[in-house]
Amino acid sequence: MKSNGLHQRSTTYIFISPWVLTLLVFWLFPLVYSLYLSFTDYSLGNQALNFRGLSNYINLFSDTKFLASLKNTLIFVIGTIPFTTVFALLLALLVNRKIRFATFFRSAYFLPSLVALVVMALVFTSLYQKGGYLEFLFSMTGLPTPERGFLLTESTALYSIMFMDVWIASGYYMLIFLAGLKSIPDELYEAAELDGASRVQQFFKITLPALRPTALYIILINTIKSFQVFIEIYIMSNDSGGPNNATTTIVYYIYDIGLRGVFDMGMASAAAYILFLMILIVAVIQLKLFGYGKATYE
Amino acid sequence: MTRFKNIILWIIMLFLFIGMFLPVWWMLLGTFSESFTPRSFWQNIVNFDFTLKYVHNVFVSADFSRALINSIFVAICVSIGNIIFCLMTGYAFARRRFMFKKWLFISVIMVLMVPVHIILIPLFLEIKFFGMLDTYWALILPFLVNPLGIFLVAQYIREIPPDLEEAARIDGASDFKILFRIVAPLCKPVLAVMTVMIFMTTWNAFLLPFILTNSAEMRTLPVAIGNIVGRQIEYQTHFAASTLATIPIVIVFLFFQRRIVSGIITGALKQ
Repeated sequence: MKSNGLHQRSTTYIFISPWVLTLLVFWLFPLVYSLYLSFTDYSLGNQALNFRGLSNYINLFSDTKFLASLKNTLIFVIGTIPFTTVFALLLALLVNRKIRFATFFRSAYFLPSLVALVVMALVFTSLYQKGGYLEFLFSMTGLPTPERGFLLTESTALYSIMFMDVWIASGYYMLIFLAGLKSIPDELYEAAELDGASRVQQFFKITLPALRPTALYIILINTIKSFQVFIEIYIMSNDSGGPNNATTTIVYYIYDIGLRGVFDMGMASAAAYILFLMILIVAVIQLKLFGYGKATYE
Repeated sequence: MTRFKNIILWIIMLFLFIGMFLPVWWMLLGTFSESFTPRSFWQNIVNFDFTLKYVHNVFVSADFSRALINSIFVAICVSIGNIIFCLMTGYAFARRRFMFKKWLFISVIMVLMVPVHIILIPLFLEIKFFGMLDTYWALILPFLVNPLGIFLVAQYIREIPPDLEEAARIDGASDFKILFRIVAPLCKPVLAVMTVMIFMTTWNAFLLPFILTNSAEMRTLPVAIGNIVGRQIEYQTHFAASTLATIPIVIVFLFFQRRIVSGIITGALKQ
């Protein structure tokens, strides 16, 4: 096995042990334990642990709060991703032009996506608050403003948070689009130019088809990320899940029933497993489509 | 004509820049202006009234100053741990054969994609069982080996020819010496990318530190900033803390821009 430099040596097991331990202790065990808990009525208050079969799962689907959280999470995913993707693409096309300062603007658009989400959530809470800047802008243009502020009104709370998410996530995905754009060979455009194709035609016949895998990838990872939305919800709805559960999402629900108050961990684990299944489906699609790292583990 | 077109493009870009940075401007105005009002952007700029009062508040506030120290300590420990452990693990994946290698590599990829949110409850119970709730251990131990780090390092080492290691082995160097004296220096670029990414993730992390700690002394900076819920808070002091939390990110970004970009793209598009 000299030829490919692969060895079988005793220190291998020392080298690999940090990952094996992390995987076992902080991933596999919790995953299995969580599945077990989801079939019980375990809670911190009531230490007695009774096996309850599938009743947690069944109860979840008659719990209005959980159903609201499921609905809100789906609205969040479906409502933000198209906008984020299109906006990110437009930004990428803009800064991909070979003009001066384009690299500066590329960095400038990307930077806000690196700032801690909790910071952004705090700033936007201030912008959205009753008597805040957004209300000022709305009243200046003659638009109606919600009486209790955007975040505490049932009809606007979730959309306000989604708007913020599009705003700050776009710069990040712009960067991935940009990598996709750079990988399109210039010859394609030169050939199209020779054939007399217009810029618009070039965009629809070359750029967009070439960006399809990138766009698909962005949509998939963004879906996985958006399924987990929590920080914004926690901060911006003042740890209430919004008026009439208007902004309760799945992770917020898990935290709300499992990690405080009655600490109903059985029920929370069942909710977590439903989220896990949703994410797993998207992850498997991603692996199937992209064969992520397929050739690299040999 | 092209000149005219360029000017139009610059104006569009500039407007987008001002717009996308609006939350950042807002935070800076709230941090440094005595006459800050949440009502009007324009008024805040016109009536800008410089003060360091709120920054000072952060440093004298027991909670915030402690949170700042906690954040620095935790981010450094996690970064150093990852440099050592991801190097070891990544090296093994790149150069060694062992049982379940394929499955272990798949586990790296899976963990990379599957978020920690789904194991919040058991992780909380486990940390509690170990008696590590509300200690530095809870903030550090679970994060010492990052799957993205393993992935990046393994990919990188695979591209290096093993000749130097072979030569050192013939000279009688131990495996650890080979790894840390010969392979590690060659891996500097990838270790830099990895450390920068992990530092930023750890620095910004909210959910797990929020759940695994409960006393004010153990909060990290993001958790302290987020501790506004259900309280009458002084917004501007929280803005100042936010500015302080953002400064390291901006510095790291300015210094390692290329590496961050390449890290995100390798993590993202290496198919």
